[in-house]
Amino acid sequence: MGIRLFLMGIIISAVIGAGAYVLKLQRDNAILKENAVKLESAISEQKTLIENQKRDFAEILEANQKMNELVSVLKKDLEDLDKRFNKKNRDVGKLAIQRPESIERITNGASALATRCIEIASGSPLTEKEKNATKKSEINTECPSIANPKYIPY
Amino acid sequence: MLILSIFLTSCSGVKKLEIFKQEVEREKLNLNTPTPLELENLKWIIITSNNAEEVFKKLEEKGIDPVLWGLTDKDFELLAKNFARIRNQLVVTNNLLDKYKEYYEGDLEKKNEK
Repeated sequence: MGIRLFLMGIIISAVIGAGAYVLKLQRDNAILKENAVKLESAISEQKTLIENQKRDFAEILEANQKMNELVSVLKKDLEDLDKRFNKKNRDVGKLAIQRPESIERITNGASALATRCIEIASGSPLTEKEKNATKKSEINTECPSIANPKYIPY
Repeated sequence: MLILSIFLTSCSGVKKLEIFKQEVEREKLNLNTPTPLELENLKWIIITSNNAEEVFKKLEEKGIDPVLWGLTDKDFELLAKNFARIRNQLVVTNNLLDKYKEYYEGDLEKKNEK
C-alpha cells in the first residue's frame, strides 16, 4: 500500500511537472514571438530613420547649393554695378561735368530702381511686370537676379 | 497542497508596468513676417562748378532752401556699392530664414500628413 502510494505520488508529481514545463514552454514561446515582432518593428523603425536621415542630408545639400548659387548671382549684380561706374575707364565725374542733366536723369532712374531692389530684398512681392520681364529693356538693371526671375542675361 | 501552491503562484496579482512614451511636437514659433519696406524715392541733383548758380536759383524758385548735401563722384560710387551690399545681405538673411523654416516646419508638415 505504502509503495503504491509512493509510486502514485511520483506519477502525479511527474504529470504536474510535465504540465508546468509545457506551460512554461508555451509562455517562453509567446515571449519569443513577441520579441520577434518587436525586433521586426525596431528594424522597420531603423530603416525609416535611415531613410529620413538620407532625405535630410539631401535637403541640407540642396539648401547649401541654392544658397551658394544665390550668393554668386548677388555677387554678379555687385560686379555689374562696378562695371557701370568703371567700364572702359569710364569716369562718371567727367561725364557729369560734360552732361549734368543727362547724368542726373540716369542717376535718378538708377536710384529709383535701387530703391525698389531694397523693397524686394525686404520681402515686397514682385509685380507682374517684374515677374514677366525677359528683355534687357524691361528688367531692373540694378538687381535682375532678385527682381526678374525669368530674365536670362544675354 | 502542491497543486494549490502551483495555482496560487500562477495567479499572481502583480501586473507588468507599462510606460508609454509619446513625442509631443514643439509648438511652431510662427512669428509674423516683417512688413516689406516701402521706401521714398529721393532726387539726386548733379552740381558742377558750371551749373552751381543755376541749380541754386532753380531751388529758390521752387521754394526749396538753397542748400545741398554733397558727394564726390567717387563717394557716390561707394554709396551705391554700400547700398547694394546691404541689399544683398538682406536677401541672403531672408533666404536663410526661409530655408530654416522650410527645413524644420516642412518636416513637421510631412509628419502631420502621416
